[in-house]
Parts: sequence; structure tokens; C-alpha cells
Amino acid sequence: MSDHQTSLNRRQLLAAGAALGVGALAAPHVSRAQEAATLRITGWGGKWGQIMSSDLIPAFEKEYKCKVVTDTALPFLPKLQASPRSAPIYDVLHTNSNEQWAAVEMGLVEPKIDAKQVPNLADVYPYAVSDKIVGVSIFTSAIGLGMRTDKDYPAVTSWKDFWDARYSGARGGYVIPVNSLGQAFLTLCGALYGKGYTDLDAAYGALEKIKPIKLVDFTGAMEKMLLSSEVGICVIHDSGVYRYYDDKPPTTFVAPKEGVLALEQVLSITPGSKVKELANAYVNYMLSLPVQKKLAQSVWYSPTNKTVVLDEPYASRLLTTPEKVSSLIQVDWKWYNAHKDAIDSRVNRIFRG
Amino acid sequence: MSARIELSAVSKSYDGGARAVDAIDMTIEPGEFFSLLGPSGCGKTTTLRMIAGFETPTDGVIRVGGADITRVPAHKRDMGMVFQNYALFPHRTVRENVAFGLRMRGMARAAIARKVDEALAMVALTGFEDRRPGQLSGGQQQRVALARAIVIQPRVLLCDEPLGALDKKLRQSMQFELKQLQKTLGVTLVFVTHDQEEALAMSDRIAVLNGGKVEQVGTPVEIYDRPATRFVADFIGDTNLFRGEIVPAGAGVALKVSPELVLPLPAAPAASGLVSVALRPEKVRLAAGTDANAITPGTVESANFQGGHVLYRVALPGNRHLLVQSRNDGSGAPLPAGAPVSLSWAPADLVILKD
Amino acid sequence: MLSIKIGRFAYLAANWAVLIFLLLPIAIIFVFALNPTPYIEFPPVGVSLKWFDKFFASSQFMSALLLSLEVAALTTVAATVLGASAALGIARGNVPGSRAITAIMLSPLMLPAILTGLALFQTYVLMDVGRPLWGLVVGHCLVTVPYVVRTTLAVLHNFDLRLEEAARNLGASPQRTFFEITLPLIKPGVIAGGIFAFIVSFDQFPVSLFLVSPGQETLPITLFNYLKYDLDGTIGAASVVSILLAALVVIGLDRTVGLRSYVKL
Repeated sequence: MSDHQTSLNRRQLLAAGAALGVGALAAPHVSRAQEAATLRITGWGGKWGQIMSSDLIPAFEKEYKCKVVTDTALPFLPKLQASPRSAPIYDVLHTNSNEQWAAVEMGLVEPKIDAKQVPNLADVYPYAVSDKIVGVSIFTSAIGLGMRTDKDYPAVTSWKDFWDARYSGARGGYVIPVNSLGQAFLTLCGALYGKGYTDLDAAYGALEKIKPIKLVDFTGAMEKMLLSSEVGICVIHDSGVYRYYDDKPPTTFVAPKEGVLALEQVLSITPGSKVKELANAYVNYMLSLPVQKKLAQSVWYSPTNKTVVLDEPYASRLLTTPEKVSSLIQVDWKWYNAHKDAIDSRVNRIFRG
Repeated sequence: MSARIELSAVSKSYDGGARAVDAIDMTIEPGEFFSLLGPSGCGKTTTLRMIAGFETPTDGVIRVGGADITRVPAHKRDMGMVFQNYALFPHRTVRENVAFGLRMRGMARAAIARKVDEALAMVALTGFEDRRPGQLSGGQQQRVALARAIVIQPRVLLCDEPLGALDKKLRQSMQFELKQLQKTLGVTLVFVTHDQEEALAMSDRIAVLNGGKVEQVGTPVEIYDRPATRFVADFIGDTNLFRGEIVPAGAGVALKVSPELVLPLPAAPAASGLVSVALRPEKVRLAAGTDANAITPGTVESANFQGGHVLYRVALPGNRHLLVQSRNDGSGAPLPAGAPVSLSWAPADLVILKD
Repeated sequence: MLSIKIGRFAYLAANWAVLIFLLLPIAIIFVFALNPTPYIEFPPVGVSLKWFDKFFASSQFMSALLLSLEVAALTTVAATVLGASAALGIARGNVPGSRAITAIMLSPLMLPAILTGLALFQTYVLMDVGRPLWGLVVGHCLVTVPYVVRTTLAVLHNFDLRLEEAARNLGASPQRTFFEITLPLIKPGVIAGGIFAFIVSFDQFPVSLFLVSPGQETLPITLFNYLKYDLDGTIGAASVVSILLAALVVIGLDRTVGLRSYVKL
């Protein structure tokens, strides 16, 4: 018997034995896997996840007579990385832009969406398919400054106001190695105080000067800190402030005059996907008017389809006009990811002291 | 109900190492109280465990009641056993412990209850049925172990140092009870002990084991008075051992221990040349002063008063010593050190030993 | 006299300090769960059960809770049988290299659990079996069997083999001896291991991370993902419920199988 046969047999045995041993448990999953067309995607949880699973996904499934399996359990990238390229565990990857860049570097996703297969791509703002984006951005949040309105702070107009000594100890920021808002903010520091977004030395210097600052790793934690007045001013995305709109807390979102950083929700397709057609249909569906409007008005994300018309209070607060969209600053994640290790260790040193 | 046990050329070695039991031949008669006696490591416990079926002999055959049981598993041997430290089931009550063997035999509940009551009555533990072993004294646990072993009416009762954990007083009364019980039941009993007094007091016959071999099998009196080997003489009780050359002495022969010390022998031994002899301390008569008719003179070195008797250490000519046990006849204080004495004994009390 | 009193006071104070240190996080979770605001406020502004309502009304959390209980139950049974058998084999089997086997059995505890999860995930992908429920149970077994092996080996270490011989001698077959004598006597160790297995599985995060399948997530995974989007008192309520459930299972096992009569946990 050759080595090849041995290993094949062993693998078969392993699978057979495992399947036999727990046959009863495995049965329902096997039958599900055998259904014809299944689209496997990643997705957010929370309010977004609720609307997707209760409303938008069932409608898509009905229209395309398929089954959509959404993985909302992080981390997506390592799981995709651990599965074979020829049989990836996801067909469509939905993450923030920074992770998409990491994915495309590893060849896990295709760099661009084919406009011929996705007609709605013609209606998106140019930034949503710019060279700073892998695939397509379906929604974008603006990263600016979150403020308490009950602290008698003067009006804030510039990012540089964040460094004002009056906010010492009242600032909120992010653990930069693990949070993309923090990472985006770091590049901005380089532009504010140095030669540009890649001026790391200027950025480090600026970061030194905003201490003391409260750091969190989850964006959700920052929302709570602002709500509970643990911080008076913080780096935050607009949806993180606006989502409490109905509760009318004493907080507000400020879009500084230098521009707002873009936090993009990006879709890309895996090269090994066996259901490319369905994957393209899904991307197209997510860019369609009803879906864009529904999600935008549920989670306060700005739609990237420029033909979407939002109701109030959404229309006046989200990035709904070409002028507002032009204030978006897109981070060069390809550059950032390449420098991430060096940045992480330097930043850790800055905030440990 | 009782059975004969025969061991023929039974050996046991572990992992090809030295033999723990080396070609033992032994026949234990039905109804006999038979002790396996020897120091630790002599093979007595291994022999018992082979009879019980916990160990399989490397060689040889074990028969019980004529049937070869060498390879019969332990649970099919129908033997009772009392373990060192009793091995009572700690999670079971006294009643459940005693009932265990009967339950395994599939006996009806009512019959079990009756038999358990009888067995507990026999060991005077009525009223303790619902206690757990942990709530009993050592002596009580001992009785439960005994009741558990005899309630199944075994052909053979095996006891592995069953009294070793008891204090001396309790041990003596348990010795007596065990012996009584064995006679009442008429069961063949194999008793393992390292305590020679216990073996002498209880046994019908004793096998003295050393280094995996049988040194001597005999009644307690034979073992004590006529030890066959130097090991037996030394192991059982106090003894005086002399080694010397056989020399002619008048009509008979004598043992020349040294030029100054020549001891008359009762008969010419089979062996010639150097032999060992044993002399029990209590067989020696000790008299104050000198006596020409005595076998040898001596000088008291030390006297150890022990109540019923006095143990003297006497210096003999030729730089030898003799232990003498002298009955306390009420004649006053023991002789002081340095007192000259004369020593005599019946020549037949000198036992010639195999080395 | 005085120094004895001071020493005693210091001893008590130290004990209380440790206790408070251990229990404070749990107390904070209770405060968080009962506080009406979606963030921890101190002092609490009131008492409300709204987060519990939200937790129990959420089909996502309920199915996660049920799945966690199911996985923990299956894991407990499987890990207990496997771990106890392995320990018996190691202690009794006369197996050559039993020390090495023990080390291998315990090694999943030394490996970062996240690697165990990742390795299993890749294995399943290679076997092309997807991410079935049994795969999650297998993953949990890997990290729980060592506990059962450990606790069972500990009781076997003190086990008097003569008890089994006594049973054999009284006519019990090897199987009967096992069920009548050996098993009841090693039960405390096996049960203790089982309780560890349940708790470790119920709280398991790193191994589950890669092994849960979409739409079938255990409670810790669901909590983790929820935390990322909606950090509110529901997290606290879910934690309180799972703490109480775990405690309930431990107490239940303790009562029904009578742990207390044999060992002090």
C-alpha cells in the first residue's frame, strides 16, 4: 500500500468515525448542507443583525430561492484564513475597510467588484469604490468628535480642540492596536501636526500630548462612557452618538472643519466562492434603494448609494449630499497595515507610560 | 464443607525477576488451622494470594478438594478471606458488607437477611447492622470482616495478618475467638502471620517460610522444640545457637564449639564436620555456685527480671554466651552479675540443625 | 493575649479581603444587570428588571442559552465517561508509558485554548464536515477531559485495591466489582471532574470561537458579539442568569449524587 493511499484512508476513516460516533447530532446539519444554493456571508450583530435576519435576508432568500447563512461570530478573518482558498467558508465578506485590506493582501478576497454583475455599483459615490477600498463600501460612518452638551464646553470646530488643556482627563480614545477608529485617528494626527497622514513621528508626538486620556477597545464602550459622562469629549463615529437620538441624551456629534474620517462597511467576494452569481446578487441587493434606506434609518449609517433619499432626522445628519461626502477622509489601510506592527509597539509604549 | 488444599511445586516470579515463591509443596488438611509464618518478603502473602486467585502461579498446580483451581478466577473459588486492615466497603453499611457475598450468589432477600443476622450474632455484632465501617472500632471492623467471610460458608477461609492492626489485649481475645469459630465451623483456615507467638498459639500446623521456600512444616510443638533448620530455630522464640565440630567423646559424640567448650550430643548426627545446634533458654537449669556434674560452668553477666521468670545472660568458657530462662520460684532476688553458676540440660534438648 | 487578638483580627481581615476580591466582580455584574441605565452608574440610580426582560425576550439569547446548556450537558457526559475511563486505564491498566499518556491527556490544558479551537476548526474544514454541533462538543471535551482525568486519578491514587479483591473474593465478577465497588468509591472524583467539565464547557469562549456555526452560537460567543454592538445591561442580566444556572447545576449535582458525604470540595 502506498503512502498516498494510507493517508487517504486515514482521512476517510477519521471522517467516517467522527460522523458515525455522533451521527444523531450531525444529521440535521448534513441535510442542510445538501440544499442547493447556499450563500455564506459575514455580518454584524446588534440592531443591524436583527433587521438583516428578520427582514432583509428572508426577502433576499425568497427572491433568489437560496439559503443565506450569516456568521455574526467574530473573528471572521482567521476563520476565512484557516479554510481552503478553493472552498472558503464565506462567499461574501463584510468587515470594516482595514480588515478587507488585510484580507486582500492574503488573497482571501477579490480586490474589486465587477460592475457588470452589480448594476447598482453605477449609483454609488466614487469614494465607495475608490482605490482606498477593496470591493465596495455599502455604508459609511463619519468619525468625528462626540461631546457632552451639559459641561459648558465652548463650541468645538477643529480636531485640534481635542488637545485643549481644559479637556485633560475628560478625553476618550481607543486602544490603537485593536480598534480601527483609533488607527484612523492616528493617521489624522500626522496630518494635523505634521507633513501628512503618513507622518508617524508627528502623530506620535501629538498622541503624547493628549494624555491623560481614557482608552477603550470597543466602540460600544465609548458610547457608554459618553452617555455616562465618564468622558466629556471623545473620538467617535456619528452613528455611535445618533443611535441614542430618541433618548435625547445631553450629547452631540461634531464634524470638525478639517473633515471626518471614513469608517466604511465593506463587502467583498472570495475568489473561491462556488456561488459567485449569488454573491454578486447579494452585493447588488445591499446597494439597492430600499435596503440602503432601511438600514441607514435603523442604525444611522450613511448610505453609499447616492440616489437614496432619507427622511428626517436622518437626512440632515448623515452624509447625504456630495458636499458632505467630500468631507470624508479615507484612510490608506494598505499603507497602515504594512506599518501596523511598528505602530502598535510604539503606541503601546506611549500609553503605558 | 471444608476442603483439602494442595500446592505442588508452586512458584511465582514477577517480571522474570527473582522468585517470590520458589517451588513450594504443601498439603493443608480439611478443617485444619494452618499458618504460613515468616518474615516479610518470605513469600507467605504471595502464597495466600495465589490460593485466593489474586495472583497466578508462574509454575505449579494448586488443588482444592482435589480439583485443579490454578487458573480459576478469584470470584469463582468460593473462599472466604479476611484482609489485613479488613478491606470493608466504606460506602456500605455493616449489613450490606456482610450480605455482599450472598447477594453475589443470587440468594433470596429473606434468606440473606437471616444469614446476615446469624453471622453478625456469631461475631457478637448484633445491633450494629446499619453502621458504616468508619463508625466502628478496629475490633468491631475485624468482626465484620470475619462475618463477611464466613457468611458465605466457604470451603476455605484465608486470613492475611487479620489481627496485625489490633492492640495486644484485643489481639489475644480475637485469637481465641477466631480459633473457636474455626473449630465450630470446621472450615479449613489458612492464616498468614509474621508473629510467631500468634502462629504457635493458634495453629494446628505451621509452615515456616523463608526466601520463598518452606523451611519446615509441623505442629507448633514440633516447630518450637525440634526446629529443623537454623533459620527456624532462630526465627521462632529465643534460642542459643552453637556451631562446632563433631568429636568423639567417650562412648558417644560431642560438639566442640571451642577448645574450652565441648557439649555432649545425644546421638551422632547424620552430618559430619561442622554443625549447628540449638538450645532453648528455658531448657537450661542454672544453679548458683560450682557443680562438677554440670555440663559447663559460667558467670552471670546480666540478669533481666521479667516477672514469671528471670532471663540471664551467662558467660561461658571460650568467650561464648548463653541465654538462660530461669523460673521465678520465689527464692528471692536474681543472682548478681559476676556470680559463678553451673549450667546443665538434658543432652536431648540440644537440637541438631540443618544449615 | 493582645498579640493573639491582633493576629486573629489580621487573619479574619485577610480572609474577608480575599473573599471581597473574588466576589466584587460578581457584585458589579449584579449592579449592572439591575441598573436601569445602559451603562454602569454608581451609585445605582434605581432597580429595574428590564434587562432581564430583554434577555429572556431575545430569541437570540434564548437559543444561545439552550445551546450552551445542551453542549455543556453533552460535554459533561462525554468528558466524564472518557476522562474516568482514561484515568482508570492509566492507573490500573499496566499500560507502558502511562506517565507519558497522562501528560498527553493533560496537555490541552497547557495549550492556549484558542489554538485548540483553531486546530479543530481546520481539521473539520479538511474533513469537510462543516462546523457541526458534535464538533463543538469534541472541542469542549478536549479541554474538559483533563479535569476529569485529574480528579479521577486523585481518588484512584488513594484507592485501596484490596476492596476490589474483597469483592472478587466474595464472588463478584470483574464487571460487578467495578459497578458495585470501584465506581461508587471513585464517584466523588468523577463527579467533581464532571462539574468542572460542565462549568468549563458552559463558560467556554476560546475553543468555541472558531467552532460555533452561523446561527448556532453558544452564550459566551453571543455575549461577546453582543458586547461589540450593544453594550447594555442585557450583558449583565445574561451573566447573572448564567452564574445562577451554573450554581444551580453544581448544587443539583451535589444534592443528587451526594458529593458531600465523600469529599470536601
